[in-house]
Amino acid sequence: MAAVLRPAVDYPDPGSSWWSGRRLRFVLVLILLAGFYSASWHLAKVDPGRLLTGLPKMAGWAAKAWPPATDELPVLLLRTAETIAMAAIGTTAAALLALPLCIVAARNATPSMALYYPARWLLNALRGVDSFVFALLFVAAVGLGPFAGVLGIALHTWGSTAKLWAEAIENIPPGPLEAAAATGASRVKVIAYALLPDVAPSMVSVGLFWWEFNVRASTVLGVVGAGGIGQELKNSMDLLLFPRLLTIILLILITVTVIDHTSEWLRRKLE
Amino acid sequence: MVTTQARVAQERNGHGVVARADGLTKRYPPAVTALAGVSFAVRPGEFVAVLGPSGAGKTTLFRCLTGLTRPDSGTISIAGLDIWRSPRELGLARREIALIFQQFNLIRRLSALENVLVGRLAHVPAWRVISRSFTRADRQLALGCLDTVGLLDRARTRADELSGGQQQRVAIARALAQHAQVILADEPVASLDPESSATVLESLRSAVSAGVAVVANLHQVHLARAYADRIVALRDGRIVEDTPASRLDTRTIEQIYERNGERGAL
Repeated sequence: MAAVLRPAVDYPDPGSSWWSGRRLRFVLVLILLAGFYSASWHLAKVDPGRLLTGLPKMAGWAAKAWPPATDELPVLLLRTAETIAMAAIGTTAAALLALPLCIVAARNATPSMALYYPARWLLNALRGVDSFVFALLFVAAVGLGPFAGVLGIALHTWGSTAKLWAEAIENIPPGPLEAAAATGASRVKVIAYALLPDVAPSMVSVGLFWWEFNVRASTVLGVVGAGGIGQELKNSMDLLLFPRLLTIILLILITVTVIDHTSEWLRRKLE
Repeated sequence: MVTTQARVAQERNGHGVVARADGLTKRYPPAVTALAGVSFAVRPGEFVAVLGPSGAGKTTLFRCLTGLTRPDSGTISIAGLDIWRSPRELGLARREIALIFQQFNLIRRLSALENVLVGRLAHVPAWRVISRSFTRADRQLALGCLDTVGLLDRARTRADELSGGQQQRVAIARALAQHAQVILADEPVASLDPESSATVLESLRSAVSAGVAVVANLHQVHLARAYADRIVALRDGRIVEDTPASRLDTRTIEQIYERNGERGAL
């Protein structure tokens, strides 16, 4: 039987040379990666020694922080509510703005390719600037407080949501849309009746994801003066009020966990 | 019953013909001639099956009839509208043509009833479509169409929970709700099992009884013989046979599918 398995001719074997193109490419990629990480290490000024001296300092703060301060709890709860409200208003405004934009920015739904490209540029520009940066600009324009945070969240989320929604629209099967259009129905009717019901669940899911993301993001927006619990976080750190800082961090953790679970539960119900 | 003489007279006057193709040609350069002078007419209440081997031009013929592909020459009129004369005539003609697809193309998350109502979209003001509040008359019509295809009890079932055969019957109900004069079905049973194929073709027959003309591409000769009134056979872009289904004999079938002395699959 072995004779059958042993070929009578010597086939040219593409994997026989050690220095084949594939192996050479692999080594080249390794060298490039090594260069990239060593450069990054230096640029990021990574210094484990400083971490070792810094850690005991942090441990000292942690010791001083216990027990968490409760005297200002009502104010801190109000600030937490502010943060959730910022995220809710910002995300909702973004969703309302994203609805028309995502239709124009989806290849299979756009009324014209002349609008499609500008819409893509707009949402990429909005997405490219973080809500933190937008908030920084709006604090200068509309003053300190959560409203600047709302505007920052709204603009960044507008672009991000529109992009994900446009992708959801582009991924739906074309057949049902063709079938609806073939009855002679106008484009608006086809979009409203055949397209939106198909993408609605994934759109709501994306919206909930951004709300959840924005609650997390807005906890730090206060650092640039955009209100909410982040502002209290920064004040406490500046004044080295560690028990108060601990209370704030715990509040953020509880809020984010509750929001994450609620949003996840809602999204699972949609499927 | 219309007498043959009366029918001939009607045809001569151009009445009683709901779809007509005249001298259709379509070439795909450099070498493919998909259609080489195809002419035929379809009367209301007639079920025409189009047969032919792969590459015979069936799909091109369908694309021309539905206005998806423009023929190089020849005319197509649907319900008296010359579909290539102007975009407006094409738009009007589209309302008179209902399409049935191999893959059904229902909106997955909507109920059977809501899918049948798609057939009413062109007839209903936009605000009613957006708010999904159809008139009682439209809903009754849609329920009637579901009844015709035997799926009244599935009106509230989501489209993606129906079997393939049931989905295709909903698609036929959608075509009926459109009040189109012609139903064009491109391989309507190609992705169905034999039992579902039979119920789907029976549903198409009920559309025919309602006075609609049906033109269907079919692969299976025995189904064409069992359900169609008339058979149009294409080969190499030409009509090689146009005969009442009852008169189609085995020898003719072999001629349709024979290629270079080899027999095609039946």
